[in-house]
Amino acid sequence: MRTKIFIGLTLAVGLILLSECEILAHGTGYRHSEIRAVSLEFMYSTGEMMSYREARVFSPNDEKFAYQTGRTDEKGRFAFVPDIAGTWRVIVRDEEGHQCTAEIDVTAEFLAGKSDGTQQHDDGTFPQGMELFIRALLGVSVIFNIAMIVRRRNAHQ
Amino acid sequence: MHISEGILSGGMLAAGWAGTVAGVSFGLKHTESDKIIRTALVSSAFFLASLVNIRIGPSSTHISLLAPMGLLLGYSVFPAVFTALLLQAVLFGFGGLVVLGANTIVMGLPALMCHVIFGKTVRDGRGKTAALMSFIAGAFAVMMGAGLSGVFLGLSDRNFLGAVKLLMIAHVPLALVEGVVTSFLIMWLKKSVPEFLS
Repeated sequence: MRTKIFIGLTLAVGLILLSECEILAHGTGYRHSEIRAVSLEFMYSTGEMMSYREARVFSPNDEKFAYQTGRTDEKGRFAFVPDIAGTWRVIVRDEEGHQCTAEIDVTAEFLAGKSDGTQQHDDGTFPQGMELFIRALLGVSVIFNIAMIVRRRNAHQ
Repeated sequence: MHISEGILSGGMLAAGWAGTVAGVSFGLKHTESDKIIRTALVSSAFFLASLVNIRIGPSSTHISLLAPMGLLLGYSVFPAVFTALLLQAVLFGFGGLVVLGANTIVMGLPALMCHVIFGKTVRDGRGKTAALMSFIAGAFAVMMGAGLSGVFLGLSDRNFLGAVKLLMIAHVPLALVEGVVTSFLIMWLKKSVPEFLS
């Protein structure tokens, strides 16, 4: 009788332990993270956001294999958590041959939570307003200057 | 329609540049001195057209004016496209300098084909025939440009092969808009300044 009770208890404890191990092996959980992320927005020159586009993040240590991959959200936003200081690259591209590369300088102060932000190499935004007008005017001026140079050269020949 | 920097393979970039050098050289040889200002004018229009956004459904795009360029400039369209794309890359960041050769082929070749296929019919045609052929030329140029983009992307990276069909479908609304714009523009030029089409 004692032997049967002993075997029964052993089996019961074993099953409980097994089920507990299973819970630990496949269980999930979450907690709110205080780690700071680099958050970016990607858009086309038309002003349209690059929604749901493929995004790849490259760390300063590895230019070949992506540190993180994913997609932008509906509003063209993408965020990642850098783990070392240096220049990080985020490449977002669509299926039509458009690609936007953001280069972000992450400092040790940012990682330690001492500074507010990171520094972008270039803001990558399309010129607006007067800047756009001046660039357009410059472009037209260059085209006509090239035309005049070619015309004069042809006249001399 | 501009392919961005860093997407195409080395081989496709080289092929783009080889074609562009040939096209620009050929175009410069066929550019008559008295038509250089016209070339600059049309090139400027193409350069500025990229700033005109058109809302099509949920997305927006910009007109290209590829067919009018081909119909107005003929064989000298390549230098005009190359110059405008170079300035778009430098001043607005469209495309890029390394990929400039491929982009010139993607946009210059359809414009040139419009001249070869539709040029005579549009110039000599009257009324509805000229309007219809201009419309077809406008739509054709956009679809051919999209197709060439797909070829460059697909041959660079197999992952893009599946997107070629999507690329063509996405350009259908723009092709229709370009067809209408080309038709109105050519018909207006035929009435107002017919010598411009000579």
